[in-house]
Amino acid sequence: MTYNTAATLPHQMVKRPNKGKLTQVKKTISAGLTEAEAIDRAKAGDAESFEALYGLHKRRVYSLCLRMTGNTAEAEDLTQEAFLQLYRKIATFRGESAFSTWLHRLAVNVVLMHLRKKGLPEVSLDEAMEPQHEDGPKKDIGARDNVLAGSIDRVNLERAIESLPPGYRIIFVLHDVEGYEHNEIAEMMGCSIGNSKSQLHKARMKLRDLLKLSRAEKAVRH
Amino acid sequence: MNCQQFQEVLPYIIEHGGNEEEEGHLRTCPACAELVRDLKYIADQAKLMLPMYDPNPRVWSGIEHALHREGLIQEGRTSRQGHITTFATQARSWTPLGWGMALASLVVFTVVLINYRPQLPKTELAAQNSTATANQLNSEDQRLISQVAQQSPEAQPAYEAGLREANAYIEDAQQAVTRDPDDEQAHEQLLQAYQQKETLYQMAAVRSLP
Amino acid sequence: MRISQTRLRAVVLGVSATLGVCQAFAGETHKESRMEIAPGGTLTVTTGGGSVNLKQGAVGAAVVAYTTHSDKVEVDRTSTADHRRIEIRTHVLTEQKPAADESKVDYEISIPPGVSVTVSTVSAPITADGVSGEMNLSSESGQVTVRNANRSHVIMQGVAAPVSLTNLSAARIDIMANSGAVQLTNVWGPKIHVATSSGNISYQGDCSGVGSYWFSTHSGNIDLALPETASVDLAARTYNGTLENDFPLQKKSHTSSSPPKQGSSFAGTSHSGASAVELQSINGKIRVKKQQ
Repeated sequence: MTYNTAATLPHQMVKRPNKGKLTQVKKTISAGLTEAEAIDRAKAGDAESFEALYGLHKRRVYSLCLRMTGNTAEAEDLTQEAFLQLYRKIATFRGESAFSTWLHRLAVNVVLMHLRKKGLPEVSLDEAMEPQHEDGPKKDIGARDNVLAGSIDRVNLERAIESLPPGYRIIFVLHDVEGYEHNEIAEMMGCSIGNSKSQLHKARMKLRDLLKLSRAEKAVRH
Repeated sequence: MNCQQFQEVLPYIIEHGGNEEEEGHLRTCPACAELVRDLKYIADQAKLMLPMYDPNPRVWSGIEHALHREGLIQEGRTSRQGHITTFATQARSWTPLGWGMALASLVVFTVVLINYRPQLPKTELAAQNSTATANQLNSEDQRLISQVAQQSPEAQPAYEAGLREANAYIEDAQQAVTRDPDDEQAHEQLLQAYQQKETLYQMAAVRSLP
Repeated sequence: MRISQTRLRAVVLGVSATLGVCQAFAGETHKESRMEIAPGGTLTVTTGGGSVNLKQGAVGAAVVAYTTHSDKVEVDRTSTADHRRIEIRTHVLTEQKPAADESKVDYEISIPPGVSVTVSTVSAPITADGVSGEMNLSSESGQVTVRNANRSHVIMQGVAAPVSLTNLSAARIDIMANSGAVQLTNVWGPKIHVATSSGNISYQGDCSGVGSYWFSTHSGNIDLALPETASVDLAARTYNGTLENDFPLQKKSHTSSSPPKQGSSFAGTSHSGASAVELQSINGKIRVKKQQ
């Protein structure tokens, strides 16, 4: 998905900021223990090192689970499951990618498997072929709403993401929040790249509606 | 081109760029320009969303508890996360008996896990023989039962029956694994059997604490 | 004035009866206290005999009431300075060699919302009525009863302790009962997992909540009674036992590429197969019935 800074047709994405993906060598968990050392020790079964890794990565894994499910209890269960799987599989980590990337992917798979068991809304192939109309374009035709840019804070955006239908929420979180590409999402979700792009667009449109509604409600209350 | 036509193809032109007509519409239509700006803003804000939430401390306690039950970490550790202890860590000090029970359970579990390997198929006779020994208690089991009996004789029958049953469970599950090493459920049952036995050792260790 | 014999007898009897009652209650002491505890904190109870009754209380403080039946036992109550942990422990004065009846303590505890509770008993039954939140329950032989709650998280271990769960909605259940029988009635939620060695497992309910229901045993029996409206994706397998099913299921092939080589099994779905139900046994019977 690409955008331009000017009000021309979007081409290039804004560069994704570094969200704390430090190199393994430089990250120090506690006095004298780097992340790399903790990983090696955890592979050998050292529980304290594993606990240190948990402390380092729990926030990112839990935030991912929470944003994808929108539910605290589920997110807690899935975080627990992700770290249990980490403990069982850490011996297979070869260092070909950053540990945080590897762990993140593991956590995403845990969440998706869980959602699949619950009956994740399948993305229809037909949706990719024919653009749907139910998600907002008609409302914008010829009318001018207030511009969103600069007017929403992250808390409102978090709430709006939570309110998205599950299928939209997953794609939006994976792509826009977590930075996965459409081909990666398509592989994980078992759908086509076209579906992924289409669902993402709908998710953004829906978020726009939710954010505008939230702002309007706030204005009425005040 | 009107707004409806523009917005119908918006997902596609976002990916691949637009033609001259579409670019022209964007320059001249404030509503569509605003739509594009809003969608860009949402995407940009999402990129800036850092992980904000820490899980409840009970998540770590659940992880620790699960690893403990699977025998993947030692018993008796208090979590540095600091909020919830496992069953075996409630005492401020352990009696020698308590240490003995804890070490015994750890040794049993370690020995059993080291010796657990998917086996080549045994003969029927060997399988029958192993079934016959299933209800026997090894020396560690006997020691646990006598320690429990010393503290409360009324609890001894339950522990003795439980250990015989757990040993039979391990034996039967091991046979299932032996017959079909690719049977994942058989492996799962074997793990469950070991966990049942470990639970008995854990509970016996806890009861010996002051 | 002379007192009549009848009246004298009545007085003597009355005094004797009163003395008897007083003697019976001589060793009984009842205490109650409020102990501040922060949300997210943990309350731990360790005891031998007697009983432990838990109920949901008000925010901010746990109310701990207990009754001892002799002076040969004490109750230690400790609390951390940050109010995040409370520990309550029955302390038997062993040098006094109390009998079983003398060493028991009966607890009644109100748990504030958001506080997790850990209870460990030898023979004391544990009862939790209306308690949501996390409970870690462990008993050798005391009956464990949890009922009438929403969003409970119950982790339980037992040796020979029978377990009864009733009317729990949106629950997460993880039970490892060795020889104790486990009975679940009208229990549903995202995760209902029960494992026994020889204890029977019986479930009566609709397995709703798009949950994962997993019942596993070595030699106990598993009995499931489902209403016709239950939406389940059910798989049952026993290695050496028997299978019975009169619940209508649409047959499906096993998820693995070929059916299991060992034992007997069946798998099927009802309605949309929302909840995953897995029944496993080595030697025991598995019976799935339609509720009448």
